[in-house]
Amino acid sequence: MDIITQLQEQLSEIAMVAVNTFGTLQRDAPPDRLSSSYPDPLNPNPKPEEDAKPQVPAQPGAAPAPAQAQPPAPPQPPALDLAEHPKAMSHALVLAAKKFDALVAALPLSSEDDQLRRIQELQAENEVVGLELQKQLEAAELELKQVEVLFNEATDNCINLKKPD
Amino acid sequence: MATSSAYPPPPPFYRLYKDYEQDPSSAPEPPPPIDGKYTVFGAEHEINQVLPSLESQGVRQLYPKGPNIDFKKELRTLNRELQLHILELADILVERPSQYARRVEDISLIFQNLHHLLNSLRPHQARATLIHMLESQIQRRKQAIEDIKQRREEAQKLLGESLLVLDGSQTN
Repeated sequence: MDIITQLQEQLSEIAMVAVNTFGTLQRDAPPDRLSSSYPDPLNPNPKPEEDAKPQVPAQPGAAPAPAQAQPPAPPQPPALDLAEHPKAMSHALVLAAKKFDALVAALPLSSEDDQLRRIQELQAENEVVGLELQKQLEAAELELKQVEVLFNEATDNCINLKKPD
Repeated sequence: MATSSAYPPPPPFYRLYKDYEQDPSSAPEPPPPIDGKYTVFGAEHEINQVLPSLESQGVRQLYPKGPNIDFKKELRTLNRELQLHILELADILVERPSQYARRVEDISLIFQNLHHLLNSLRPHQARATLIHMLESQIQRRKQAIEDIKQRREEAQKLLGESLLVLDGSQTN
């Protein structure tokens, strides 16, 4: 594929990555708490706070008791997706942009005048080479005719000189 | 659209060429090549197709105007702008989601400019293709010349050898 088409395809790729990023983030976003008078959608049944509320990591023995009093933690997979998805997608976006830059750097650009001059040079050279080719071709065809004539004479002589048995 | 029938009969010009075999000048010459506008299947086309400028399509041009545009620099600049705008859109969606429309418009404007820049590179590509074709044609012709020269020399050599053989057998 030529480089300009590749550049155009890369632009579409960037657009697609951006659209997919925003789309999946909007689709998979968890609900947001609008005001403190509404229940927290992430935390629908909070138990009353106990003394063991701040879960100290240095006390693994006390961990089971406060863990039971804790409200059910949100299911694991969405929490992972929320953290990993944006990273992966922004990585893809930056990669796509870098590829575009690399393609731009690889563009073989030259000025229009240079190109037109080169075309005229090539046309002149093409003319010269074409004339030479035609000359050679005509000479070769002439020689071919001569050889054919000689060959026919030789074969005729062969037939005439051959004594019938 | 088109008022002619779906399967029109062929044009009736063939009748004019009845005596072409006997007298080629009795029939009309083919029409000259068209210049300017022409109509095909009810739609009008131009011979010399020019990329319409962004203003004529009602799109703001973000890169500087002028006879000589540095394409690589402008493309890179627009790419940076694009990335920035995407980030801005993400921010706006977090802070003030109702104001997404302006940002989305900006992003689509940048894309239109990018595509217009790439399309204006196509004539350059066409000239480069022409240069490439001329070069390969010259290459092929030179190769053909070499081949013909070589064959002629071989033929001369063979003829010379056969002459020697014949002379040799004659003297014998």
